[in-house]
Amino acid sequence: MALLSVEDLVVRFRTHEGTIHAVNGVTFELEEGERLGLVGESGCGKSVTNLAIIRLLPKPAGRIEGGRVLFDGQDLTVLPEAEVRDIRGSDIAMIFQDPMTSLNPVLTIREQMVETIQAHRKVTKAEAEKRAVELLAMVGIPKAADRLKDYPHQFSGGMRQRVMIAIALALEPKLLIADEPTTALDVTIQAQVLDLLRNLTTEQGTALVLITHDLGVVAGMTQRINVMYAGFIVETATTADLFAHPSHPYTIGLLHSVPRLDAVEGEELIPIEGRPPDMRRAPTGCPFAPRCAWRLEACWADNPGLRALSGEETVVTTGERATHRSACHNPPTAEEAAAGRPLRAGFTAAPPPSGAIDELGGTTANIDDFGGLVAAIEAEESPIEPFPSAAGLPLPPEPERRNDGI
Amino acid sequence: MTASDSGAAPVVPALLEVRDLKVHFPIREGLIFERHVGDIRAVDGISFSMARGETLGLVGESGCGKSTTGRAIIRLYDPTAGNVVFDGVDTTSLDRSGLKAMRRRMQMIFQDPYASLDPRMTAGGIVAEPLDIHGVGAKRDRQDRVRELLATVGLNPDYAERYPHEFSGGQRQRIGVARALALEPDLIIADEPISALDVSIQAQIINLLERLQGRLGLAYLFIAHDLSVVRHISDRIAVMYLGRIVEVAGSKELNTAPLHPYTVALLSAIPIPDPVVESRRRRIILKGDVPSPANPPTGCRFHTRCWLRERLGDPEVCSAEDPGLRELSPGHTVACHFAEQVDGSAEQVQAVGARPAAGAAPAAPASRPEPPTHPQVPASA
Repeated sequence: MALLSVEDLVVRFRTHEGTIHAVNGVTFELEEGERLGLVGESGCGKSVTNLAIIRLLPKPAGRIEGGRVLFDGQDLTVLPEAEVRDIRGSDIAMIFQDPMTSLNPVLTIREQMVETIQAHRKVTKAEAEKRAVELLAMVGIPKAADRLKDYPHQFSGGMRQRVMIAIALALEPKLLIADEPTTALDVTIQAQVLDLLRNLTTEQGTALVLITHDLGVVAGMTQRINVMYAGFIVETATTADLFAHPSHPYTIGLLHSVPRLDAVEGEELIPIEGRPPDMRRAPTGCPFAPRCAWRLEACWADNPGLRALSGEETVVTTGERATHRSACHNPPTAEEAAAGRPLRAGFTAAPPPSGAIDELGGTTANIDDFGGLVAAIEAEESPIEPFPSAAGLPLPPEPERRNDGI
Repeated sequence: MTASDSGAAPVVPALLEVRDLKVHFPIREGLIFERHVGDIRAVDGISFSMARGETLGLVGESGCGKSTTGRAIIRLYDPTAGNVVFDGVDTTSLDRSGLKAMRRRMQMIFQDPYASLDPRMTAGGIVAEPLDIHGVGAKRDRQDRVRELLATVGLNPDYAERYPHEFSGGQRQRIGVARALALEPDLIIADEPISALDVSIQAQIINLLERLQGRLGLAYLFIAHDLSVVRHISDRIAVMYLGRIVEVAGSKELNTAPLHPYTVALLSAIPIPDPVVESRRRRIILKGDVPSPANPPTGCRFHTRCWLRERLGDPEVCSAEDPGLRELSPGHTVACHFAEQVDGSAEQVQAVGARPAAGAAPAAPASRPEPPTHPQVPASA
């Protein structure tokens, strides 16, 4: 039996601006000791999925409206709060993006670590303190015993994240959920923290769910990846498979829109047109259709489920042999995946639903000073066709940032 | 007119020349009688130049002084020492009206499109503001110019009447770009212009900036922490560490043959979205954090964290002597006493994620056996 099994999870937020369809039926499993990446942009539901698993959705707005979360055979969605609290911290631990907001600024590190240990283990204060020193040393904090009396602000960002990791691993949890653990850190510090996280979870056999927007981070850290978009898992595969044969147009788009350090000179970036969907609209059809170069007429109406690329009926959901599955009506070919755009002769993407205009490309301005610039930019910027993005509706305010939590 | 201006006119004038620029922020203590107790040496003596139409990437980690450098160039901060010569004019000596004229040719794009646009102004108003301030064109013409600018950055000109909150992050950054373009500047200082944006939107803005440069002959000072983005857009790259430039080279050369130990470490730390490459690479894990710029280390500022110094048995000179920038090959300068040792080292080869097919046997023997950085996890407990 899998350590963690998320079945058809649906999470919505009731806000005064309407219902946010944050997670729309997510199913995945995780074995003991496995390292899974949850990849996607802000608002794709990756963090909300995590919060729903550990029952920390902001109340009263956020609610699990469907599905189950089985951890060690127990359904966390129906367990009494007290029992969930026991599991949190001891069996499932979390690390968040910003260690400054996850640590209590008015308590010393000693108080916070001892509190965590004593909350779950029957040990004396002295024993808990001894353990705290061990843990701080384990995560590479110099002069651990002296630093116990320090407050969080006396640590640097990287050190704070180390303290968070120490607290998270204090009780040797079976599952560690790390939500953008290095996004707030500099790249050399990120390397330190990822290295630490990898070594410790490997040593302790801790399963890891790593939530990030950075494809580079998951490439080196995980064994399996779920790519999320608009509250759906759109592609799932082992890490090796996903990068060797990316299959969903969104995954392909992501891979082509970030410059690689080892890219060939002059390699062009192919941005994903348009912008992420408005989560206040109930999903109809494929959520990626408005931005997709490969879309068919069917994509507007019908949301394809995850299907095995090989067409097999039996699906392996975990481990090294996990089946590569993608949710797409018109999967790009391997050549198209490498090129980042459709190549099939005569293929034209389906037109948008009636009345849509292009939000970014709908430009008809006069061309004077810039001498043909607009036309040239338009022609160049849209090697395929300019795709409609907002379906011509008024643009809603969008207060989220790249690295938002929920 | 300053002393530096009275010298011989340069033969091929650089668009921008920064000479020994220092920006220190005083640390004060005491409430009534504020005492000056020290300085944050955010930028501590850097020099570089930029040609017309060139993109210079300024890269480094937070606190290295890269943003301060950008702001000091455009005089949002007053330099503590040094000169910034823009098209032959020393901007450090300019008065208000001189600055205003200078800034017409030098514009800035900021990191956070949520904070850098006035929420009470329309998109059109924001783009028109520089035109109004500098009195460019007749009022009637400005409307057309604004529409044209919005179109240039890929926004629908009909959106000119909308307010910033009605736009997404990527669109707001486009408004910021349109505003920077309004006065047809020669130089745009782009301070982390994409790091607040979603991954899929970042490429839209990078491509836009590249296309505008091709058409308008703009020079960019592109300030960012992400070396892979900087590499993509820049002709040359300057790497900063703790208020100093430690290495300058052509974009390609910096990435294939970095010569400063810090650059090597920085490159090795950047994850590459490819598990095959990742499993082959070995990261150089730098110890500890960046020291405080209020009290930088003596000698080479990187010596406290340097892997090469450790390898060489902690030579005295690293902590005693401040290495100046040396030109090791044409156009490639580096501030390290032992830069020659970096070239061809196993670390340098590993850091750039070089394919083994290149057949480049590490010139320097791997002096210590390094454990694989990516151990395989046993299937499950």
